[in-house]
Amino acid sequence: MKSVQFSVASRREGDAAIIYPKGYLNNLSGENLVIECGIYIGKGITKIVVNFSETDLINSIGISMLLQIIEDLRNIKGTICCTNMSKLLRDTFEMLGLMQHMLVFPVESDALTYLKTGKL
Amino acid sequence: MPFNAIPAEDFLNREPELSYLKGLSKLKANALGGDVFLDGARGMGKTELLKQFYRILFWENNVVPFYYSFKTANLKGTYFAQDYFTGFVRQYISFVKKDPSLASNVAEPLQRLMPAISSLGLYWLIDCIEDFQGHVSKNDFYWQLVAAISAPVMAAQKMGKSVIVMLDDFDAAAHLYESSLGDAHGLISLFGESMRNRRCPHVITGSAGALEPVFTDHSLIGMTERMRLGPLPEDLAMALFRAHLTNLKITCAPGVQLEFLDILRGNPFYIKNLAKAAWKMQKNVIHEKDLIECYSFEVSDGETAFYWASVFSRYVKNPAQRKAMLKLLMHAIENGGIEEGKRLSLVSGLGEAETETLLGALTTSGIIRAKDTVLHDFIHCLYMTEIEGGNANDAREKIEAKYIQEREESFFEMVIPMSSNAELVVAKAVEQIGKNMNLDAEFLNYLQLALIEVCINAIEHSGSYEKKIFLKFITRPDKLEIIVENSGRPFSLESLKEVPVEEKMRLGMKRGWGYKLVHKIMDSVKVERVNDRTRVILTKNIDNGS
Repeated sequence: MKSVQFSVASRREGDAAIIYPKGYLNNLSGENLVIECGIYIGKGITKIVVNFSETDLINSIGISMLLQIIEDLRNIKGTICCTNMSKLLRDTFEMLGLMQHMLVFPVESDALTYLKTGKL
Repeated sequence: MPFNAIPAEDFLNREPELSYLKGLSKLKANALGGDVFLDGARGMGKTELLKQFYRILFWENNVVPFYYSFKTANLKGTYFAQDYFTGFVRQYISFVKKDPSLASNVAEPLQRLMPAISSLGLYWLIDCIEDFQGHVSKNDFYWQLVAAISAPVMAAQKMGKSVIVMLDDFDAAAHLYESSLGDAHGLISLFGESMRNRRCPHVITGSAGALEPVFTDHSLIGMTERMRLGPLPEDLAMALFRAHLTNLKITCAPGVQLEFLDILRGNPFYIKNLAKAAWKMQKNVIHEKDLIECYSFEVSDGETAFYWASVFSRYVKNPAQRKAMLKLLMHAIENGGIEEGKRLSLVSGLGEAETETLLGALTTSGIIRAKDTVLHDFIHCLYMTEIEGGNANDAREKIEAKYIQEREESFFEMVIPMSSNAELVVAKAVEQIGKNMNLDAEFLNYLQLALIEVCINAIEHSGSYEKKIFLKFITRPDKLEIIVENSGRPFSLESLKEVPVEEKMRLGMKRGWGYKLVHKIMDSVKVERVNDRTRVILTKNIDNGS
């Protein structure tokens, strides 16, 4: 476990937004993540890729924040793609039965290709 | 008897106390103090200290020592007076003649000592004896007591040499009676006159709880100071144990660290008994495991068990009370103390008034508050045999198994505040503990996650004013157990409703994932309520391939 201060970065690529949560995803950092996604949703973006490559730990409050984003996107018929998830993160979502509510890709480029072409 | 002390070289680490006690007569002569209440847990060596002190004074010849034990005294006033008075006379003559055997020979009547007293020129003592016998023949209860108690003062005044009076288990003197128990309260205050005398410092022992009311007696307060007799430090405890073994011709196996002795907490009485148990069990060479075996025998069937059983019998009068006392003591051990209230009569099985009386006796004796693992193990054994119907062998085996298992354990404790990201500190700790156990790194990630969830649940939902989480990590070769405790609102697993994920999503229920994760990760999750605390016990079995 690394102890990195949480931060969230993002960028746009075409009609998609890519979010980079970094560190421990808990209540406070989860809220930042929701806000960051909300900014893009507010601008009409419906495709969001969350790249978890630098997320080392998530707790149940962080998970609930992620669900908030899933729900927000579902309400606007948007798509969420999760990429670069560690085995722990994947297993955690698996344990909770959440995998069927998100699209999961090994790496960010796979998710972007899918969002562009509609093909896996 | 004051002369049956252990050899001075085996009496360790009490030099400062002995040195202070030796200065008592000067302190008293200068009105700077001079009476001492020796305080300390049972078995800590208070009686032994008195005996060692006695022996030193006896041979130094500067101050006359007088030792009296109330432990075995007959508390009927006239018997007591006779015993106390003759005891003093014998010890005095013994001191003057430097003949220890005179002090020990209780069978010899005073009349036979008269020639010796005359030859020593102690005519005032002959007068004293005649006066005492006069009170006896007149059946004068009060003057018999006064004459006996003031005999040391009389001797000090006549000879100009201080007499140090050592009263062992003095609290029993509060129960002195005239013809039937409880018929003459306050006879203990007759000691007040003797204690005030400048030539007679007093050193007393007894239960602190029982002596507190005694010392509210105006005649006894003032010049008495408390001297606390603490446990032997670890190294000296080991040295004492090794000395006992040597005396019993038992050797330690090479490399034996005697770590198990820690459980005895430097109590010389327990240390001696454990060595004797090794001898009784015919051990010639001691290994660490033998200590556990001997200890289990000691607390179930040995001298330590016998000692505590006799202490218990002072406080209970019949089998029903004894069972009730055991139930209360077990309750106190399991709950880390005893709370007030009507519920205790449910525990004891007696009525409220009787339970309260019993609790009062246990509190006065100090037994219920004692943080003494040996006593607790004895209580466990007794509980197993007398309440659960097991036999002494079963009890012994259970104690033995417990400590053999504990030897394989490591134990860590930590307290974290209920503050932001404090759970990460716990996660770091469990990571290192896991590394110490050579646990797989991936597996450790899950463990961290489970622990984080339990901590944030406590932080979020307990409403605790204490705002602290107490954690214990117990590692064994086959198991990791983590105990998480916090005060505040009760919590139970039954209160958690299992809602399918789809339903949660549909209803917009985004929270409530924590314990689901914990259950998935751990092999066992238990939640208990202990007093005002919620205790979560997480267990993970370690298969050595993981």
